[in-house]
Amino acid sequence: MRAYETEKTNVAAVDRSIYDIKDAANAAFEVGSGLTPEIVAQISAEKHDPAWMRDFRLQSLQIYDRTPVQNWGPDISGLDMRNIVTYVRPNTAMQGKWSDVPADIKNTFERLGIPQAERSGLAGVGAQYDSEVVYHNVRAEVAAQGVVYTDMESALQGEYAELVRTHFMKLVPPTDHKFAALHGAVWSGGSFVYVPAGVHVEIPLQSYFRLNAPGAGQFEHTLIIVEKDAYLHFIEGCSAPKYNVANLHAGCVEIYVGENARVRYSTIENWSKNMYNLNTKRAKVAAGGTIEWVSGSFGSHTSCLYPMSILQGEGARMEFTGITFAGAGQELDTGAKVVHAAPHTTSHISTKSLARDGGISNFRSSVVVLPNAEGSKSSVSCESLMLDDRSRSDTIPEMDIRCDKVDVGHEAKIGRISEDAVLYLMSRGISEEDARALIVGGFAEPIAKELPLEYAVEMNNLIHLEMKGSIG
Amino acid sequence: MNTTLNRLPVPTWNRLGVNFAPAAAALPAVPDGGWGAAQVAESPLPAGVCAAAPDFADFSASGVGADADAWVRQNANFVRHIAVNEAVSAPLLYETTLDAAHPAAVEYLTVDAAAHTRLTVVQVLRGDAENGAAAQLTRIRAGQGAVVTLVQVQLLGSRVRRWNAVAAETAQGGKVEQVRLELGGALTVCGTRAFLHSRHAAYELTAAYYGSGKQLLDFNDVSVHTAKDTVCEMHTAGVLTDEADKILRGTVDFQRGAVNGIGHESEDVLLFDPRVRNRTAPLILCREERVEGQHAASVGRLDEAKLYYLRSRGLSAAQARRLMVDARFAPAIEKLPGEALRQEVRHFVAERLDAYEPLDR
Repeated sequence: MRAYETEKTNVAAVDRSIYDIKDAANAAFEVGSGLTPEIVAQISAEKHDPAWMRDFRLQSLQIYDRTPVQNWGPDISGLDMRNIVTYVRPNTAMQGKWSDVPADIKNTFERLGIPQAERSGLAGVGAQYDSEVVYHNVRAEVAAQGVVYTDMESALQGEYAELVRTHFMKLVPPTDHKFAALHGAVWSGGSFVYVPAGVHVEIPLQSYFRLNAPGAGQFEHTLIIVEKDAYLHFIEGCSAPKYNVANLHAGCVEIYVGENARVRYSTIENWSKNMYNLNTKRAKVAAGGTIEWVSGSFGSHTSCLYPMSILQGEGARMEFTGITFAGAGQELDTGAKVVHAAPHTTSHISTKSLARDGGISNFRSSVVVLPNAEGSKSSVSCESLMLDDRSRSDTIPEMDIRCDKVDVGHEAKIGRISEDAVLYLMSRGISEEDARALIVGGFAEPIAKELPLEYAVEMNNLIHLEMKGSIG
Repeated sequence: MNTTLNRLPVPTWNRLGVNFAPAAAALPAVPDGGWGAAQVAESPLPAGVCAAAPDFADFSASGVGADADAWVRQNANFVRHIAVNEAVSAPLLYETTLDAAHPAAVEYLTVDAAAHTRLTVVQVLRGDAENGAAAQLTRIRAGQGAVVTLVQVQLLGSRVRRWNAVAAETAQGGKVEQVRLELGGALTVCGTRAFLHSRHAAYELTAAYYGSGKQLLDFNDVSVHTAKDTVCEMHTAGVLTDEADKILRGTVDFQRGAVNGIGHESEDVLLFDPRVRNRTAPLILCREERVEGQHAASVGRLDEAKLYYLRSRGLSAAQARRLMVDARFAPAIEKLPGEALRQEVRHFVAERLDAYEPLDR
């Protein structure tokens, strides 16, 4: 398998202002706000769902209606589903050629650097605008290996329909929590990836999700099936312009990692700060397989994001590397969950959290070792940095060990920027603001080095932007 | 469902079952005919310590929770309120024994230590009784520069359920040191909440537990820092055998104003049996920039290399187990006053280990 460093791609640095450019509302169709059986049926009809999917949506709505809002975690009382538009179809069909994408949408993705990234170093790209995928393309040589990378709607209707039906929301059932049920009812868009046995997709696939419509929700579904001995690196990016009304992202990612296969799933989440990001990600890993999560959380008003790995086969592994940076008005509740369900499984969770300017950055984790997981190992390491005394950072890990032949370790630290280090850098002619940004950059560096280069650059830029005005 | 005992200060996923103590940990019903008398032997009050009217009306809740505190106060069959007026070297001893004639002890103790005083209080629980119940609420106010050491040794039999609620408030430069060994019983529910509200206040917990049979152990220790330069050290060692089920919640809560606060907590658990269940939730809550908080947890079996070495030196598996357990419990045992009590504890642990029959696999 290739060393990770060689997977990095080169894309120019980005500026935050590009995220905030709003396109004029130009939807071809949108449902009314709120959530009713009629709206769900309308979405299903618009999307020409097969009968099983229409029934699944309506059953999910019933589960949603009877499931209470979580009684732990961030306050989401500002999210009123009566005001959320759950389906907005952009004014275009999905295109396989970039030149066919309408100019306004194309310009948005051009500003975000998506087509350039595709040209320079991606095996395939999908771009979703509001509720629908507007562009999907995969390199011919990758497709020739039998790799399928398409939008979920096409997969649901085409030759992979049965594969979708047998895997869709089986890892994250609608009963999992209220927003999983919501997703089951109104999901739209997202990607379907199938990597056949033994195929190594040498360069990453990327999906980019853009939510333009104010007061709307985005509920894309990503289903990834990687067969035995195969390899895939999948990159997910998301952004939205800022509005004065709440937007909602309740996507779902399901990843099936086959025997001795390896999947790396990288995310930089940079939603606007009016977004409730209640996303669910889960992977099931067969014997000898590996799931690697790399996650950067910078945006959103409120985030609840805890990718979960179920280590189902002997010797399965997971690694989670994450960074979370919360600023003014943000409450980012992030972390990871793992279930060791087979012998000799391994998990490693490593996170960094930063909070400044009144932001709240929480780390939350769960490590469960089941009775049959003899010889398993788990380590959790989380570090938090408080950048002022108006912010908040909570560390809330949990371990549930039901097997004696295990090694489980956990360590957490919380602290502050060393004033000695700031003074030293200032004595070398560096401004206080730059000195603090440099120290924070150093704190985040172990995570940044796990990211593809363009995302590492983006993360460093975001840190510098977040640190601006942090003095006084 | 019991949702008020040992509540995690910040809740997490409900399905993990750590947000509060399980239903089996609920406080007991008052038996027909009331609790009867508790059998408690106490040492005479030394010079510098006197009985006093309690002044704990607005005192902090314990780690077990305000409902449990109120329950113990209402049901107590042994009540003592003491005031400490000078540094006292001899420990104040309360020895509770449960037997068929005295199956219940519900004890309420308050300790009000004036500025710059010092006292060690030792509570030992022994004995066994059908449907036995031992509940304690201990409230400690440590004045400016005062040091109060609370030593709790629980050596109860397998038919006794036990609740241990402790609340401490510490003034400037004051310190509450708690040594807690929970080594027996059918059910153990413990919760300490230390409120460090003044500068240089400190709380230190050195704890050990042993769970066996189908024993349920449920802990909730919280150190709340609201003032500058406050320090807490909370360190727990545990051993679980058979089908023991344990939850340990440990929280360091740095509130705004806890500038230069330091909080360290750790847990080291040895698992001897594939049927045990061990849950740990070590929290750090932080609303202050300039603090240092750390927690560490280590869960696992005996180190194979160490075990091999000990076996190669001729030790039996049981002897090797005992050596490992002794090493883990040593920091707590060494803090007990008097060699006799230390020996009694070592003997109690050894008996429990000898009684343990590893699952044949």
